[in-house]
Amino acid sequence: MDKLLKLTEDIKILWTNYSDQYLIGIRNTLILAVVATLVGCLIGFVCGILNTIPCAKQDPPLKRFFLKLIRAIVRIYVEVFRGTPMVLQAVFIFYGLPYFTDGAISFKGMSGIWMAAMVVVSVNTGAYMAESVRGGINSVDSGQTEGAKAIGMTHVQTMTNVIMPQAIRNIIPQIGNNFIINIKDTSVMFVIGFVEFFGAHRNIVGMNLKYFPSAVIEMVGYLTLTLVASFLLRWLEKKMDGSDHYELVQEDPLVMTAGTYRHPNRGSCLDEQSREFSKAGKRKSGRQEGGR
Amino acid sequence: MDEKLLEIRHLSKTFGNHQVLKDIDFTVNRGDVISIIGASGSGKSTLLRCVNLLETPTSGEVIYDGINVADRKVNAPEYRSHVGMVFQSFNLFNNMTVLKNCMVGQIKVLKRSKEEAEKTALLYLNKVGMTPYINAKPRQMSGGQKQRVAIARALAMGPDVLLFDEPTSALDPEMVGEVLSVMKQLAREGMTMLVVTHEMAFARDVSNRVVYMNDGVICEQGTPEQVFGDPQKQETKEFLSRFLKD
Repeated sequence: MDKLLKLTEDIKILWTNYSDQYLIGIRNTLILAVVATLVGCLIGFVCGILNTIPCAKQDPPLKRFFLKLIRAIVRIYVEVFRGTPMVLQAVFIFYGLPYFTDGAISFKGMSGIWMAAMVVVSVNTGAYMAESVRGGINSVDSGQTEGAKAIGMTHVQTMTNVIMPQAIRNIIPQIGNNFIINIKDTSVMFVIGFVEFFGAHRNIVGMNLKYFPSAVIEMVGYLTLTLVASFLLRWLEKKMDGSDHYELVQEDPLVMTAGTYRHPNRGSCLDEQSREFSKAGKRKSGRQEGGR
Repeated sequence: MDEKLLEIRHLSKTFGNHQVLKDIDFTVNRGDVISIIGASGSGKSTLLRCVNLLETPTSGEVIYDGINVADRKVNAPEYRSHVGMVFQSFNLFNNMTVLKNCMVGQIKVLKRSKEEAEKTALLYLNKVGMTPYINAKPRQMSGGQKQRVAIARALAMGPDVLLFDEPTSALDPEMVGEVLSVMKQLAREGMTMLVVTHEMAFARDVSNRVVYMNDGVICEQGTPEQVFGDPQKQETKEFLSRFLKD
C-alpha cells in the first residue's frame, strides 16, 4: 500500500516539474503520427492504384513494359520498407543521405529532424498501406467493375466513382491500425534525436532517475492516445456506412400513407442470431416514425 | 425496315486452350428481340460479353455503325455507352443510392447536367416501377427490385441495343415475373434486345428470333415458331425436349 502511495507521490512530483515536457512530447507524437499516416496513406493509394492498373495481353508492348516496371518498383519498395526495422531506416536516411551526398542533402537543426522523422514514418506507413490498398481494391466484387464498364466508364472513371469509394471503406480499419501503430512506433525516432512522448521520458528520467513512475505516466499516456484514436476511427466507420433506413418516395404527393421505412437492424452476418427480432432490433425495425 | 444495327462476323473466342466461340456469324436489326438459348457452357454469355467487348474477341469482327469495334484502336468505353447491358448478378453500384446508380453514367460518360440526368433517371425508374425506392441502397432491395433498377440504369444511357445476360437466373421464382414484364414492355416499345435466357416462354412469346447455341456454334436460328415448333437439328430437338418436359 505504501508502495502505491510512494508511486503516486513520485508521479505527482514528475508531473508538477515536467508536465510541459510530457505535453510537448504528446503533441509531437500526435503531429508526427497524424501527418505520417496521412502522407503514408497517400503513398499507399498511389502505389496500390498503380499496382492494379489492368494489364492485358493485347495491350501495346510499351504500355505493358511500363506497367511491369511500375509493379516491380512498387514491389521492391514495399518489400524493403516492410522488411526492415524503422529504427534502422531512420538511421539510414538521417545519416546515410548526408554521407553519400557529402552533406549536400542533410537534416540540420530541429526542422531537419522533423523532416527526417516525417519522411521515415510516412514512407514506412506507405509500404504497409500499398498492400492494404491493393487488397482493398481487389476485395471489391469484379461485377462492380463490369457494371461500370458496361455503361461506358473508362478505367479512371470506374476507379474514382465506383471502386475507390468501396475500397476505402474496406481499408479504413487498416488505416486505423496504421495510425495506432504510428502513435506507438514513432517512439523509435529518438535515434535521430526527435523528442516525442517517449523521448520526453528519456530526457526526464536522465535527470532524476525516476524510471518506473515516469514509465507509468508513459503507459497511461499512450493507452489514452490509442483508445481515443480507436474510438474516433470507429465513429468514422459508422458514419461512412450511412444510415440503415431510407424513405419511400410517393409518386403522388397527395397520398398521405407514406412513412419512413427503416431497414431492420439485423446486425452483422457474423452474429450468432439475427438482431432483427431481438429486443434491441425490434425497437428500430418496422415501419414507424410517423407520416410525412 | 431491316436496318442493320450490329453485325457479328466470324467471331471466335478462346480461353487458354478452350475454344468457347467458333466462327459465329449473325446480324441484329433495329427493333429485333433475339433470344439466345442453349445449355450451360455453350458460349451464350461469352457471345454477349464479346458483343459488349467485356471480353475481347480472339478473332472476328463486331460491326456497329459501320465500324469494327473489336479493333483495338476503337474507343471501347465510348462504344459501350451505346450498348446497355443487364447482368445476372445485377452489378448495381453498392456505394450509391438507386437514383445515383441511374445518374452517374449519364453525368460522367454522357456529360449531361445533373438536372437532366435526374430527370432521365426518374423517367426510367418510373417505367420499371422503382420510383418509391430512389433513396434506397442496393443492399436494401430484393433481387427483382435490383434487376429492375439495373434495367433503368441501362435505359437511362439511351442505348441502341440492350443486352441481357440471364437477367432472371439469380432471382427467386416469385420475382422473375416482375423483371420479365418490364422486359416484355420494352420489347413492345421497339427496343432492340439481345437476351440470353433460360425462360423458354419468354423466348417463344416475346422474341422475333431465337438462336440456339450448342458447343460454341450457332446450331439453329429462326422465328420462335420455327425453332420451337419445328426444330430441324437433332441437338435442338433434344435440348428443347429436355426443357419443355417440365
